[in-house]
Amino acid sequence: MSRITHTETYDAPRSAVWAALTDSDQLAAWLMPNDFRPEVGHSFTFRTDPGPGFDGVVRCEVLVVDPPERLSYSWSSGSLGTVVTWTLEERPGGQTRLTLEHDGFRPVRDVFVRTLLSMGWKRKLLPSKLRHQLQSATSQ
Amino acid sequence: MPDVFSALADPTRRLILDRLRESEGGLTPQQLAVGVAMSQPAFSKHLRVLRECELIAFRSSGRERIYRINSAALQPVAAWLRQYDAFWATKLSALGDHLATQQAAAEPSEEDDQ
Repeated sequence: MSRITHTETYDAPRSAVWAALTDSDQLAAWLMPNDFRPEVGHSFTFRTDPGPGFDGVVRCEVLVVDPPERLSYSWSSGSLGTVVTWTLEERPGGQTRLTLEHDGFRPVRDVFVRTLLSMGWKRKLLPSKLRHQLQSATSQ
Repeated sequence: MPDVFSALADPTRRLILDRLRESEGGLTPQQLAVGVAMSQPAFSKHLRVLRECELIAFRSSGRERIYRINSAALQPVAAWLRQYDAFWATKLSALGDHLATQQAAAEPSEEDDQ
């Protein structure tokens, strides 16, 4: 469980994707209301509806701002501190490939991965993609 | 979910779970504490935290407690991860819609420039 990863290719130039990730108003339009600023060390929050065991607030701090390629911030909700990293790559035809890595589940990784993956019931608990990621994590 | 995550965030508690997972038939508190530089009350507190979130359970054997791991308690962690994975899939799709709207709005002005 070292990370959750998603990759998408968008039909938009890298500068537009960068703006969507770093402009507070744009970020609010597709992710969550926030007081983000693209400044290393800036503490900010994302706010959404509370749910069971979740007060609806994600506490973050900007870690890396490297326009227009890389953006990273800490992401803490409840007792678990994780890190979100965005990587932007230019593709032919004005497209942009965006990779999201949500990392830092390491505190629970050792116990979780070795225990859960050794159990017979892993198949019904985890979708195949996640299971593959977990297995990659154990072999690292 | 915070209970299980807090419990797993501590290295001593992860050590306890590792030892229990590798054991056949469970371990006593004394066996679990071998090599751990910590007072007995402090160690007992870690056991209590793990018990309270049901990551471990014990049976009594004479005067001793024999602990075992309860893997089912990790199920909420799996559910939580699955939710996060789905959360990002939804948000990245929303970003795609947002970018399409932005691009559509930007196109007329680009034509004006030419």
